[in-house]
Amino acid sequence: MSLRSALRAVFGVLFLLNCAAAAAQTNLIGYWNPLFHEDVDERIPGPSIGDYLGLPISDAARLRAEAWDASLLSMPEHQCKPHPSTYGFRGVGVLRIWEDRDEDTQQLVKIHTHIAWQEQHREIWMDGRPHPPEYAQHTWQGFSTGSWEGDVLVVKTTHLKAGWMRRNGLPLSDRATMTDRFHRYGDVMTHVMIVEDPVYLTEPLVKTNGFLLAPAGTMTPYPCEPVIEVVREPGFVPHYLPGKNPFLGEFGQHYGLPREATRGGAATALPEFAETLR
Amino acid sequence: MSAVRSSLALAVLASVFAAGFAVAQPAPARPAPPASPREAAPIDLTGQWVAIVNEDWRWRMVTPPKGDYASVPLNDEGRRVADQWDVSQDGRCEAYGAAALLRMPTRLRIRWDGNERLVLETDAGRQVRNFAFGAPAAPAARSLQGQSAAKWVTPPRNPGGPGLAGAGGGPESRGGYLEVKTTNLTPGWLRRNGVPYSEDAVVTEYFARFAAPNGDEWLMVTTLVDDPRYLTQRFIVSNHFRKEAEGGHWNPRACGAGS
Repeated sequence: MSLRSALRAVFGVLFLLNCAAAAAQTNLIGYWNPLFHEDVDERIPGPSIGDYLGLPISDAARLRAEAWDASLLSMPEHQCKPHPSTYGFRGVGVLRIWEDRDEDTQQLVKIHTHIAWQEQHREIWMDGRPHPPEYAQHTWQGFSTGSWEGDVLVVKTTHLKAGWMRRNGLPLSDRATMTDRFHRYGDVMTHVMIVEDPVYLTEPLVKTNGFLLAPAGTMTPYPCEPVIEVVREPGFVPHYLPGKNPFLGEFGQHYGLPREATRGGAATALPEFAETLR
Repeated sequence: MSAVRSSLALAVLASVFAAGFAVAQPAPARPAPPASPREAAPIDLTGQWVAIVNEDWRWRMVTPPKGDYASVPLNDEGRRVADQWDVSQDGRCEAYGAAALLRMPTRLRIRWDGNERLVLETDAGRQVRNFAFGAPAAPAARSLQGQSAAKWVTPPRNPGGPGLAGAGGGPESRGGYLEVKTTNLTPGWLRRNGVPYSEDAVVTEYFARFAAPNGDEWLMVTTLVDDPRYLTQRFIVSNHFRKEAEGGHWNPRACGAGS
């Protein structure tokens, strides 16, 4: 046996050992349909103005949200915005997950997630590279690195643009970061988001999103081209000045909920808050 | 020279196989008795946990209006039954059955009873669930919490994950979760306003635990409800609970109309 043959055999053995390790991982690849059995009001038609129930928001977040006018979304600059990765998994649209492996070593380099609406495409680096310095570009999906905790994919995301935690004006700052987790149970996947933001959250916001495997799933393109929907004076930005938003009380009135509940805050998510409503 | 090369090659090959064999085939020893479920637990679920209700808030923290069954995949019969609910029934124990108990604004206390049974208690509704490992329990009368069969699901060890070395994984982050299947239920409600599930319902739950970057510990429970009588498809929700100090705030309150 030559040295070359022996080394081939050695690499062959190492390859097989590596394949065995890779096969032990949870396979997230495929199409996943979002489940809307929770938070359907927020996620399908959209949240009501002034609905901050259960969210650990800061006073600054509340102030920003109260100034928000939904007409903002009709402006050309805002029409084609994708959701930031801190919200996209709660939105509508099929999720596709796939991976890139190095052709020579077959090592996992990157996992991609793509959500149909506004083509939210996220890259999750799995090769152990560090996050870039703070001054690097911030994007809607941010910079993500992943690792495995057992069979759970854990992703850390930084370098986000200023975005939102709810589609009624509740903001997230460009200092927000997210850790998300992908737990698979057969054909069900639970996606967990842990969002931290020193500006607009008083404690980490934890949310969960359900997905169902779609073996025959498809992905459609989502081209978007802004148009003039409403003719406005140059420089005008839809907004409400503090204390001038006439719609803030409608949600609470409709459902008979007190203002201290609808205004949110960490305390409104605790069981003892329910006792105060009796 | 050729003989030297061949000897070296064989030595390298033999050492690789020997190393692999040594890893895969430890020296024969007397087989250890199988670990009990308590000893085999890949994660520790015990302790006190508080529900953080920031999803479905208006269906969970307060009783929603009659007929508000948005997002529950009810069939016609399910809607008919839900529409029979009356506000005078608010607070009844049907809202605290196994299929929906963990949706309540509640605290949990989880503990071992012996080595083969996990006990979960709630202060909301003062309910107790028993998760039995091992052989199926003998059939008993139907009940609000039914009979729960539990098993640990632990992924194979895979240090380093599928990527390059250092990409994650490792013995300290092995993961794993608890799977619980509950049957033999009495009819109950998926929501406090009488959205029904039947005695035919099967509840499958996955309990996972994780740490947040700020050090908080979380329990996440994904719940799947199959009910051919009232649902058109599986109803799937997930609930998250934050770890609290032992002996923290605990406010037991019984269920029952008017409570």
